[in-house]
Amino acid sequence: MYPYVTHFTTHDLIFMAQGAGITLVLTIVSGILGTILGFCIGWARSTRSLILFYIFGAYIDVIRSIPLIIQFVLFNSFMAIAGYPLNPFFSGLITLSIYISGYVAEVVKAGIESVPKTTKMAARGLGMTYLHEFFYIVLPIGTRTVFPSWIGLMLGLMKDTSLIAVLGATPPELLRSSQIIITRIQQPLLVLLGAGAFYFALCHMITQFSNLYEMRWREALEG
Amino acid sequence: MRLWRADLIEIKNVHKSFGDNAVLKGVNLTVTKGEVLCLIGASGSGKSTLLLCINALESIQKGKIIVDNIDVHARETTKSRLRQKLGIVFQQYNAFPHLTARENVALAPRLVLKKSKKEASELAEKHLEYVGLTDKIDAFPSQLSGGQQQRLAIARALAMQPDYMLLDEVTSALDPELVGEVLDTLRMLREEGMTMIAVTHEIPFAREVADRIAFFHEGVIHEIGEPEKMLNKPEKARTQEFLRCIL
Repeated sequence: MYPYVTHFTTHDLIFMAQGAGITLVLTIVSGILGTILGFCIGWARSTRSLILFYIFGAYIDVIRSIPLIIQFVLFNSFMAIAGYPLNPFFSGLITLSIYISGYVAEVVKAGIESVPKTTKMAARGLGMTYLHEFFYIVLPIGTRTVFPSWIGLMLGLMKDTSLIAVLGATPPELLRSSQIIITRIQQPLLVLLGAGAFYFALCHMITQFSNLYEMRWREALEG
Repeated sequence: MRLWRADLIEIKNVHKSFGDNAVLKGVNLTVTKGEVLCLIGASGSGKSTLLLCINALESIQKGKIIVDNIDVHARETTKSRLRQKLGIVFQQYNAFPHLTARENVALAPRLVLKKSKKEASELAEKHLEYVGLTDKIDAFPSQLSGGQQQRLAIARALAMQPDYMLLDEVTSALDPELVGEVLDTLRMLREEGMTMIAVTHEIPFAREVADRIAFFHEGVIHEIGEPEKMLNKPEKARTQEFLRCIL
């Protein structure tokens, strides 16, 4: 324990940086899980199967229509009621992954559908199978098309991780750790300004990373 | 002319419709190895659909298409294997935009013919040289002109070493000054005895290279014959009318 003070200390800064680290971990892990799940769902919906189309359509509809904060509470409580109480942090992580998968699925489907039918026909005309066509033609072309939308989702996800606070998950992520400091030093503006700066830094990192990729693709295409 | 059954494309009473719209209404046609057949006719008369049916990119509702003794639309036919025999080139080039010219050509030999990366790359070099694109070998499609993209598409189809080439209005999307280079490539192919079925609006070209010209009208082959006869003295009124409109 460090002595009780009512001003912003180096400890507080470190505490917030740790919170930012947790935010980043939440974003990356749920981003990866949600993207894998969303990819499978989007792919399934792009096939000719009407059953998959409607089942996953309902899934996406439900997920996108209920506020995330409610989903956190409901999922966590239902797991507990069902006899599988989860650590709030993991429960939150799973909820986030499922939540973002609904959005990713639609982006993936849009990417798959963005590839012209005639390009796919050309691939088939060369004797390629459906899987050849999908992995060597549709996926690379579609990815380049929807990559910016996917990055947009990941930025949204990063900010949505703050809602995990309703579960009282520990370790606290950035917003929650900021609130803890605010409670002590009673200087909300100062601390929130700092938290905002942290969020900005994290998002800016992702944006820069995505710009780098987009530039590389454009260079490859335009020489 | 050889007339072995294993050496030809036979189209027997083929029907195809999209919903209520009947596009092919009983097409009968035989194309032998080494022959160049040009299909002419108004837009929407079903010429392109017929090409797609020949290599099973479209299904048919009635009739039969037999390529080298293989029933194209039979359930047990492996479509991807069949399509190796039938190179197809489309009106809209359809180059793979994320791959260089070399990779565009090398991809299918690598995936479908299981060539090694090196073999496929050499194959690509050979075929790109054939169509005169050696200096563009590492260029992306977006850096190529329409004519170059279309020659790339031809090289890509040839790299699969097909027995037949199906050409769907390959010059229609090109600027007039670029048509020549693509037709030159096709002339070269003809010299080598490649069997071709070409949907085309280039009547002078058809006159020059075709062994036979077929006039497509209302979902059937309305009239078919040698270029001389078809273009100078067509028998049927519809054919005469069509030729009068476009010549």
